[in-house]
Amino acid sequence: MQKHRTRALATALLAVALAALGLAGSAQAKLTGNYTKFLNCPYTNEEVLKCIDSVTESGEVVLGNKKVPIEKQVILQGGYGEAIEEKEGAEFAKFYAATNGVTLSKTPQNVPGGLLGIIPEASQPALVKALIKFFFENSLTGVNSTLELAKPASEIRVSENDLAGETGTALQMPVKVHLENPFLGKNCFVGSSTNPIIWKLTTGTTSPPPPNTAISGLGGEIEFLEEGRILVSKNNKLVDNAWSAPPATGCGGILSFLVSPIINAQLGTTTAGHNTAILKGTLNVASALAVAKNNKENP
Amino acid sequence: MRTSKTAIGVALAALVVLCAMFATAASAAPAWKFEEKALEGTEVVVGGAYESALTIPGLTTKCENFLYKLTVKNEAGTGKGEVTEVPLYNCTTNSTACAVKSIKAEALPWPSHLATFSTTPYIIIEGVKVPILYSGAECVLGGILVTVTGSAGGSINNSAETATFNSSTLTASGTSLKALGQKIEWSGLFPTEAFQWHREQALSVS
Repeated sequence: MQKHRTRALATALLAVALAALGLAGSAQAKLTGNYTKFLNCPYTNEEVLKCIDSVTESGEVVLGNKKVPIEKQVILQGGYGEAIEEKEGAEFAKFYAATNGVTLSKTPQNVPGGLLGIIPEASQPALVKALIKFFFENSLTGVNSTLELAKPASEIRVSENDLAGETGTALQMPVKVHLENPFLGKNCFVGSSTNPIIWKLTTGTTSPPPPNTAISGLGGEIEFLEEGRILVSKNNKLVDNAWSAPPATGCGGILSFLVSPIINAQLGTTTAGHNTAILKGTLNVASALAVAKNNKENP
Repeated sequence: MRTSKTAIGVALAALVVLCAMFATAASAAPAWKFEEKALEGTEVVVGGAYESALTIPGLTTKCENFLYKLTVKNEAGTGKGEVTEVPLYNCTTNSTACAVKSIKAEALPWPSHLATFSTTPYIIIEGVKVPILYSGAECVLGGILVTVTGSAGGSINNSAETATFNSSTLTASGTSLKALGQKIEWSGLFPTEAFQWHREQALSVS
């Protein structure tokens, strides 16, 4: 009897959960046309004034001696509010996380050279050599690099005026780089929540410390849709080559004390002036009110 | 031997012709004229645009009252000038979502000079700076300061006493206006009329 009642309760709870999911799904599915890009914008939050969907389609991340080309799309989505925070002569708006929880898509990018590219076989401790041999024999040599947010989305900052004016910091993001390979374990990161990499991306021109030299971003080709309710910037380029990165940590699981230093030696100097981020893609921005209105108009 | 002498002669003649052509182009720098006489001293030219529109693809901004005040003079036979005032009033957009909250010409005076491109006289205005603040809860540009900068070349029609600015005249004169990091379109038709010493006199540029 008890067992039967428990099963009935579980079935009822499951039904409620499924119904809730169904409702959530249909609530999101109401956006139409050009507004569908903003499906995961928290436009129901009254503090959100603009919705953003930034798709990085190409570019590169240079970390010390290693260059990782961006070959697969990375999406930053969510919303932002009023520009109220003044910093470095610009006004920044607070960011609000995407409603589906994926503010920055975790897109693995292939690290050229794979495992040997970051842990060369020569002159390594015997244990490391043996493990690498094992991974090679089992074709587990591919290494991915995944960009992740190092802090909550609310720590991202946007300056619309800097973005529009091709000057200063348009987008500030705390990030970490996840190096992934079975040999490296699950916790091989460059940057962390306590020691993040801070990207201050600009569509203007950077002024990095040497040896890097100034590079320039691009505002892109702008077009307004829906009578000025949506802005699309194609072929834009956000750049920063003045950021510093902490050493890699947690690489190699229990052998981290051996493997992390090898990776750091391979990366070389990662202080400011040795790293570069170039993100090329398409930026879509919409008025949150217009998105909400589109949602209401299409029941 | 004779052939090579002839070739040198032809080359020299061609060079002389080329130099003469360039000299003609240089001397053809246009000047401000009133009743066909070159302006001496300075004159103030004022007017309001018959029509004017600033377009970033998908959004056009128009001002019902687009006035200007231009001080002109001739320097070494070439027309020069300064745009000293550009009052802009009653500005709107073609969007139901976006209104113009503020618009103002800045960094005045804007230097200007006359030039000739393909036999047509042009006025080139440099150092243009016009910040525009849009508003509207549904406007994606709401709260963003869009600053128009650059230089603009307009063709002068002597018989109609007008200056026309559009994408063709900007391209022909090698000028461009930028906003939001990209080239934008600006069109305008302006009367050219003296307002000080040469009032009601025919203004021409040649």
